[in-house]
Amino acid sequence: MEIYSDGMKDALAGLLGKTGAKTAMLVSREGYNVVEVGDVSYFNTTALAALVAGAFSATREMARMVGEKGFSILLQQGESRHIHISLIQDLLMLVVIFSDNESIGRVRYEARKTSMILADQLAEKGTRTHLESRLEETDFGENAMNLIDRVFQT
Amino acid sequence: MSFIHYVQKEINCKIVYYGPGLGGKTTNLQYVYNTTPGHMKGRMISLATETERTLFFDFMPLEMGEIKGFKVRLHLYTVPGQVFYNASRKLILRGVDGVIFVADSQEERFDANIEAIYNLKENLAEENYDIMELPYVLQLNKRDLPSAMERDVLAKELNIKGEKVFDAIACQGVGVTETLKEASKQVLMYLRKTQLERGV
Repeated sequence: MEIYSDGMKDALAGLLGKTGAKTAMLVSREGYNVVEVGDVSYFNTTALAALVAGAFSATREMARMVGEKGFSILLQQGESRHIHISLIQDLLMLVVIFSDNESIGRVRYEARKTSMILADQLAEKGTRTHLESRLEETDFGENAMNLIDRVFQT
Repeated sequence: MSFIHYVQKEINCKIVYYGPGLGGKTTNLQYVYNTTPGHMKGRMISLATETERTLFFDFMPLEMGEIKGFKVRLHLYTVPGQVFYNASRKLILRGVDGVIFVADSQEERFDANIEAIYNLKENLAEENYDIMELPYVLQLNKRDLPSAMERDVLAKELNIKGEKVFDAIACQGVGVTETLKEASKQVLMYLRKTQLERGV
Protein backbone atom coordinates (compact mmCIF):
# COMPACT_ATOMS: atom_id res chain seq x y z
CA MET A 1 0.00 0.00 0.00
CA GLU A 2 1.35 3.44 -0.90
CA ILE A 3 -0.37 6.29 0.88
CA TYR A 4 2.39 8.87 1.03
CA SER A 5 2.09 11.95 -1.15
CA ASP A 6 4.54 14.80 -1.52
CA GLY A 7 2.17 17.40 -0.09
CA MET A 8 1.94 15.61 3.25
CA LYS A 9 5.32 16.79 4.44
CA ASP A 10 4.46 20.38 3.52
CA ALA A 11 1.17 20.15 5.40
CA LEU A 12 2.94 18.89 8.51
CA ALA A 13 5.62 21.58 8.22
CA GLY A 14 2.86 24.19 8.00
CA LEU A 15 1.28 22.78 11.14
CA LEU A 16 4.55 22.99 13.05
CA GLY A 17 5.11 26.54 11.85
CA LYS A 18 1.71 27.71 13.05
CA THR A 19 1.68 25.94 16.41
CA GLY A 20 5.34 25.87 17.42
CA ALA A 21 4.92 22.15 18.15
CA LYS A 22 8.06 20.05 18.40
CA THR A 23 7.21 17.15 16.08
CA ALA A 24 4.44 16.04 13.74
CA MET A 25 4.13 12.66 12.14
CA LEU A 26 1.70 10.54 10.19
CA VAL A 27 1.17 6.93 11.18
CA SER A 28 -0.78 4.33 9.20
CA ARG A 29 -3.44 2.37 11.04
CA GLU A 30 -1.21 -0.71 10.72
CA GLY A 31 1.39 1.08 12.83
CA TYR A 32 3.82 2.20 10.13
CA ASN A 33 5.51 5.59 10.23
CA VAL A 34 4.56 7.32 6.95
CA VAL A 35 6.28 10.68 7.36
CA GLU A 36 7.67 12.87 10.14
CA VAL A 37 8.58 16.53 10.39
CA GLY A 38 10.44 18.42 13.13
CA ASP A 39 12.70 17.07 15.84
CA VAL A 40 12.66 13.27 16.06
CA SER A 41 15.98 12.92 17.85
CA TYR A 42 14.42 12.34 21.27
CA PHE A 43 12.34 9.23 20.49
CA ASN A 44 12.18 6.17 18.26
CA THR A 45 9.69 6.87 15.46
CA THR A 46 9.12 3.19 14.55
CA ALA A 47 8.30 2.26 18.13
CA LEU A 48 6.09 5.29 18.67
CA ALA A 49 4.17 4.53 15.46
CA ALA A 50 3.41 1.01 16.68
CA LEU A 51 2.22 2.33 20.04
CA VAL A 52 0.10 5.09 18.51
CA ALA A 53 -1.70 2.62 16.24
CA GLY A 54 -2.28 0.29 19.19
CA ALA A 55 -3.58 3.09 21.38
CA PHE A 56 -5.90 4.38 18.70
CA SER A 57 -7.25 0.92 17.91
CA ALA A 58 -7.90 0.31 21.59
CA THR A 59 -9.66 3.67 21.86
CA ARG A 60 -11.86 2.82 18.88
CA GLU A 61 -12.96 -0.38 20.57
CA MET A 62 -13.74 1.53 23.76
CA ALA A 63 -15.84 3.95 21.72
CA ARG A 64 -17.80 1.09 20.19
CA MET A 65 -18.47 -0.34 23.62
CA VAL A 66 -20.19 2.86 24.67
CA GLY A 67 -22.16 3.12 21.44
CA GLU A 68 -19.89 5.49 19.52
CA LYS A 69 -18.49 4.75 16.07
CA GLY A 70 -15.11 5.98 17.18
CA PHE A 71 -13.28 8.78 18.94
CA SER A 72 -11.58 11.00 16.42
CA ILE A 73 -9.10 12.63 18.78
CA LEU A 74 -6.78 11.36 21.51
CA LEU A 75 -4.96 13.75 23.81
CA GLN A 76 -2.23 12.51 26.14
CA GLN A 77 -1.18 15.16 28.63
CA GLY A 78 2.15 14.94 30.39
CA GLU A 79 3.88 17.34 32.76
CA SER A 80 5.81 19.18 30.08
CA ARG A 81 5.11 17.37 26.80
CA HIS A 82 1.80 16.36 25.30
CA ILE A 83 0.66 14.22 22.38
CA HIS A 84 -2.34 15.08 20.24
CA ILE A 85 -3.51 12.32 17.88
CA SER A 86 -6.28 12.69 15.33
CA LEU A 87 -7.67 10.19 12.86
CA ILE A 88 -7.77 10.98 9.13
CA GLN A 89 -10.24 9.01 7.04
CA ASP A 90 -9.72 5.87 9.10
CA LEU A 91 -6.40 5.42 7.29
CA LEU A 92 -3.85 7.65 8.97
CA MET A 93 -3.20 9.16 12.36
CA LEU A 94 -1.79 12.65 12.68
CA VAL A 95 0.47 12.82 15.73
CA VAL A 96 1.55 16.18 17.13
CA ILE A 97 3.99 16.39 20.01
CA PHE A 98 4.14 19.74 21.73
CA SER A 99 5.35 21.31 24.96
CA ASP A 100 3.74 23.44 27.64
CA ASN A 101 4.73 26.58 25.76
CA GLU A 102 2.14 25.89 23.07
CA SER A 103 -1.56 26.10 23.73
CA ILE A 104 -3.61 22.94 23.44
CA GLY A 105 -6.42 24.85 21.79
CA ARG A 106 -4.12 26.16 19.10
CA VAL A 107 -2.72 22.71 18.41
CA ARG A 108 -6.19 21.21 18.28
CA TYR A 109 -7.43 23.90 15.89
CA GLU A 110 -4.46 23.63 13.52
CA ALA A 111 -4.46 19.83 13.68
CA ARG A 112 -8.09 19.83 12.58
CA LYS A 113 -7.30 22.14 9.66
CA THR A 114 -4.27 20.06 8.66
CA SER A 115 -6.34 16.88 8.88
CA MET A 116 -8.73 18.33 6.32
CA ILE A 117 -5.86 19.18 3.97
CA LEU A 118 -4.43 15.69 4.37
CA ALA A 119 -7.85 14.11 3.78
CA ASP A 120 -8.11 16.03 0.50
CA GLN A 121 -4.65 14.85 -0.48
CA LEU A 122 -5.60 11.26 0.27
CA ALA A 123 -8.75 11.57 -1.82
CA GLU A 124 -6.80 13.05 -4.71
CA LYS A 125 -4.16 10.40 -4.39
CA GLY A 126 -6.77 7.71 -4.90
CA THR A 127 -7.35 9.00 -8.42
CA ARG A 128 -3.79 9.05 -9.70
CA THR A 129 -0.88 6.66 -9.93
CA HIS A 130 2.41 7.17 -8.19
CA LEU A 131 5.04 6.72 -10.86
CA GLU A 132 8.34 7.72 -9.32
CA SER A 133 10.91 5.17 -8.27
CA ARG A 134 8.59 2.21 -8.77
CA LEU A 135 9.88 -1.01 -7.25
CA GLU A 136 10.17 -3.39 -10.15
CA GLU A 137 9.18 -6.99 -9.81
CA THR A 138 12.13 -8.16 -11.89
CA ASP A 139 14.60 -10.13 -9.75
CA PHE A 140 12.74 -9.17 -6.58
CA GLY A 141 12.28 -12.80 -5.51
CA GLU A 142 15.91 -13.73 -5.97
CA ASN A 143 17.10 -10.59 -4.20
CA ALA A 144 14.70 -11.22 -1.34
CA MET A 145 15.88 -14.81 -0.87
CA ASN A 146 19.52 -13.72 -0.87
CA LEU A 147 18.78 -11.05 1.72
CA ILE A 148 16.97 -13.50 4.00
CA ASP A 149 19.79 -16.03 3.71
CA ARG A 150 22.26 -13.31 4.71
CA VAL A 151 20.21 -12.14 7.70
CA PHE A 152 19.23 -15.55 9.04
CA GLN A 153 22.37 -17.61 8.78
CA THR A 154 21.30 -20.90 10.36
CA MET B 1 -0.97 -5.11 4.54
CA SER B 2 2.66 -4.30 3.83
CA PHE B 3 3.57 -0.67 3.37
CA ILE B 4 5.88 0.37 0.55
CA HIS B 5 7.17 3.93 0.94
CA TYR B 6 8.38 4.86 -2.52
CA VAL B 7 9.83 8.22 -1.54
CA GLN B 8 11.79 7.03 1.48
CA LYS B 9 12.36 3.71 -0.33
CA GLU B 10 11.16 1.46 2.44
CA ILE B 11 9.23 -1.79 2.57
CA ASN B 12 7.49 -2.52 5.89
CA CYS B 13 5.87 -5.86 6.66
CA LYS B 14 4.10 -7.14 9.75
CA ILE B 15 4.58 -10.63 11.18
CA VAL B 16 2.53 -11.71 14.19
CA TYR B 17 3.35 -14.48 16.65
CA TYR B 18 0.06 -16.12 17.63
CA GLY B 19 -0.81 -19.04 19.90
CA PRO B 20 -2.10 -20.17 23.29
CA GLY B 21 -1.12 -18.44 26.52
CA LEU B 22 2.32 -19.29 27.92
CA GLY B 23 3.22 -21.05 24.69
CA GLY B 24 6.43 -19.07 24.14
CA LYS B 25 5.52 -16.23 21.77
CA THR B 26 7.28 -13.56 23.81
CA THR B 27 10.22 -15.93 24.40
CA ASN B 28 10.61 -16.28 20.62
CA LEU B 29 10.67 -12.53 20.19
CA GLN B 30 13.05 -12.00 23.09
CA TYR B 31 15.47 -14.52 21.60
CA VAL B 32 15.33 -12.76 18.22
CA TYR B 33 15.92 -9.44 19.97
CA ASN B 34 18.83 -10.73 22.08
CA THR B 35 20.61 -12.33 19.14
CA THR B 36 20.09 -9.56 16.58
CA PRO B 37 23.01 -7.13 16.15
CA GLY B 38 22.29 -3.62 17.44
CA HIS B 39 22.27 -1.92 14.04
CA MET B 40 19.52 -4.25 12.81
CA LYS B 41 16.98 -3.77 15.54
CA GLY B 42 14.95 -1.02 17.12
CA ARG B 43 13.75 -0.87 20.66
CA MET B 44 11.66 -3.80 21.88
CA ILE B 45 8.40 -2.80 23.50
CA SER B 46 6.55 -5.09 25.88
CA LEU B 47 3.15 -4.07 27.16
CA ALA B 48 2.88 -6.65 29.92
CA THR B 49 1.13 -7.16 33.24
CA GLU B 50 2.98 -7.10 36.55
CA THR B 51 3.44 -10.86 36.28
CA GLU B 52 5.02 -10.42 32.82
CA ARG B 53 2.09 -11.88 30.92
CA THR B 54 1.54 -10.03 27.64
CA LEU B 55 -1.26 -7.53 28.11
CA PHE B 56 -1.49 -5.88 24.71
CA PHE B 57 1.51 -6.77 22.56
CA ASP B 58 5.27 -7.08 22.29
CA PHE B 59 6.90 -5.35 19.36
CA MET B 60 10.29 -5.08 17.74
CA PRO B 61 11.34 -3.76 14.34
CA LEU B 62 13.95 -5.80 12.47
CA GLU B 63 16.00 -4.01 9.82
CA MET B 64 16.73 -6.62 7.18
CA GLY B 65 18.85 -4.64 4.73
CA GLU B 66 18.05 -3.63 1.17
CA ILE B 67 16.36 -5.15 -1.85
CA LYS B 68 16.94 -3.15 -5.03
CA GLY B 69 17.56 0.04 -3.09
CA PHE B 70 14.54 -0.39 -0.83
CA LYS B 71 15.13 -0.84 2.90
CA VAL B 72 13.20 -3.84 4.21
CA ARG B 73 11.87 -3.66 7.77
CA LEU B 74 9.96 -6.43 9.50
CA HIS B 75 7.61 -5.38 12.30
CA LEU B 76 7.41 -8.33 14.68
CA TYR B 77 4.47 -8.48 17.08
CA THR B 78 3.20 -10.97 19.61
CA VAL B 79 -0.40 -11.13 20.80
CA PRO B 80 -1.58 -11.88 24.33
CA GLY B 81 -2.44 -15.57 24.44
CA GLN B 82 -4.89 -15.52 27.30
CA VAL B 83 -8.45 -16.25 26.15
CA PHE B 84 -10.00 -13.07 27.56
CA TYR B 85 -7.68 -10.76 25.61
CA ASN B 86 -9.31 -11.46 22.26
CA ALA B 87 -10.05 -7.80 21.53
CA SER B 88 -6.32 -7.08 21.74
CA ARG B 89 -5.50 -9.98 19.43
CA LYS B 90 -7.90 -8.67 16.80
CA LEU B 91 -6.29 -5.24 16.88
CA ILE B 92 -2.79 -6.62 16.44
CA LEU B 93 -3.86 -8.76 13.47
CA ARG B 94 -4.98 -5.66 11.60
CA GLY B 95 -2.68 -5.24 8.59
CA VAL B 96 -0.86 -8.52 9.19
CA ASP B 97 1.34 -9.95 6.41
CA GLY B 98 2.22 -13.28 8.00
CA VAL B 99 1.51 -15.38 11.08
CA ILE B 100 3.77 -17.65 13.11
CA PHE B 101 1.65 -19.97 15.23
CA VAL B 102 3.58 -20.98 18.36
CA ALA B 103 2.05 -24.19 19.65
CA ASP B 104 2.73 -25.61 23.11
CA SER B 105 3.77 -29.24 22.68
CA GLN B 106 2.64 -30.34 26.14
CA GLU B 107 -0.24 -32.80 26.06
CA GLU B 108 -2.21 -30.82 28.65
CA ARG B 109 -2.12 -27.79 26.33
CA PHE B 110 -3.45 -29.58 23.28
CA ASP B 111 -6.98 -28.19 23.64
CA ALA B 112 -5.58 -24.68 24.15
CA ASN B 113 -3.67 -25.02 20.86
CA ILE B 114 -6.79 -26.08 18.99
CA GLU B 115 -8.81 -23.27 20.56
CA ALA B 116 -6.15 -20.72 19.58
CA ILE B 117 -6.12 -21.93 15.96
CA TYR B 118 -9.90 -21.59 15.73
CA ASN B 119 -9.63 -18.16 17.32
CA LEU B 120 -6.98 -17.15 14.78
CA LYS B 121 -9.14 -18.29 11.86
CA GLU B 122 -12.14 -16.38 13.21
CA ASN B 123 -10.20 -13.20 13.87
CA LEU B 124 -8.54 -13.27 10.46
CA ALA B 125 -11.88 -13.82 8.77
CA GLU B 126 -13.28 -10.80 10.59
CA GLU B 127 -10.47 -8.73 9.07
CA ASN B 128 -11.20 -10.27 5.65
CA TYR B 129 -8.09 -12.42 5.55
CA ASP B 130 -8.11 -15.97 4.24
CA ILE B 131 -5.69 -18.09 6.24
CA MET B 132 -5.31 -20.37 3.24
CA GLU B 133 -3.74 -17.46 1.34
CA LEU B 134 -1.80 -15.76 4.12
CA PRO B 135 1.86 -16.64 4.84
CA TYR B 136 1.73 -19.02 7.79
CA VAL B 137 4.24 -21.14 9.71
CA LEU B 138 3.65 -23.61 12.53
CA GLN B 139 6.17 -23.89 15.36
CA LEU B 140 5.96 -26.74 17.85
CA ASN B 141 7.56 -25.26 20.94
CA LYS B 142 8.71 -26.85 24.19
CA ARG B 143 9.87 -30.03 22.48
CA ASP B 144 12.17 -30.72 25.43
CA LEU B 145 9.43 -31.11 28.02
CA PRO B 146 8.59 -34.62 29.27
CA SER B 147 4.88 -34.28 28.52
CA ALA B 148 5.46 -33.16 24.92
CA MET B 149 3.18 -34.98 22.51
CA GLU B 150 4.64 -37.12 19.79
CA ARG B 151 5.94 -34.75 17.16
CA ASP B 152 4.23 -36.19 14.08
CA VAL B 153 0.88 -36.58 15.82
CA LEU B 154 0.89 -32.98 17.02
CA ALA B 155 2.08 -31.63 13.67
CA LYS B 156 -0.73 -33.48 11.89
CA GLU B 157 -3.41 -32.35 14.33
CA LEU B 158 -2.44 -28.68 14.20
CA ASN B 159 -1.62 -28.44 10.52
CA ILE B 160 -4.05 -26.25 8.62
CA LYS B 161 -2.88 -26.24 5.03
CA GLY B 162 0.30 -28.25 4.73
CA GLU B 163 2.39 -25.40 6.14
CA LYS B 164 6.00 -25.84 7.15
CA VAL B 165 6.46 -27.07 10.72
CA PHE B 166 9.43 -26.28 12.95
CA ASP B 167 10.41 -27.95 16.22
CA ALA B 168 11.54 -25.48 18.83
CA ILE B 169 12.80 -24.97 22.36
CA ALA B 170 12.41 -21.20 22.31
CA CYS B 171 13.98 -20.59 25.73
CA GLN B 172 17.20 -22.11 24.36
CA GLY B 173 16.81 -20.51 20.96
CA VAL B 174 16.33 -23.84 19.20
CA GLY B 175 14.18 -23.44 16.07
CA VAL B 176 13.49 -19.73 16.62
CA THR B 177 15.59 -18.38 13.76
CA GLU B 178 14.51 -21.12 11.35
CA THR B 179 10.85 -20.32 12.03
CA LEU B 180 11.27 -16.59 11.46
CA LYS B 181 13.39 -17.19 8.37
CA GLU B 182 10.65 -19.26 6.76
CA ALA B 183 7.96 -16.74 7.70
CA SER B 184 10.05 -13.88 6.26
CA LYS B 185 10.52 -15.76 2.99
CA GLN B 186 6.82 -16.38 2.66
CA VAL B 187 5.97 -12.77 3.50
CA LEU B 188 8.30 -11.30 0.88
CA MET B 189 7.07 -13.76 -1.75
CA TYR B 190 3.50 -12.87 -0.83
CA LEU B 191 4.38 -9.20 -1.15
CA ARG B 192 5.71 -9.82 -4.64
CA LYS B 193 2.53 -11.65 -5.55
CA THR B 194 0.00 -9.27 -4.03
CA GLN B 195 1.66 -5.88 -4.47
CA LEU B 196 4.27 -5.91 -7.18
CA GLU B 197 2.44 -8.04 -9.73
CA ARG B 198 -0.60 -5.89 -9.19
CA GLY B 199 1.51 -2.77 -9.73
CA VAL B 200 0.39 -0.96 -6.58
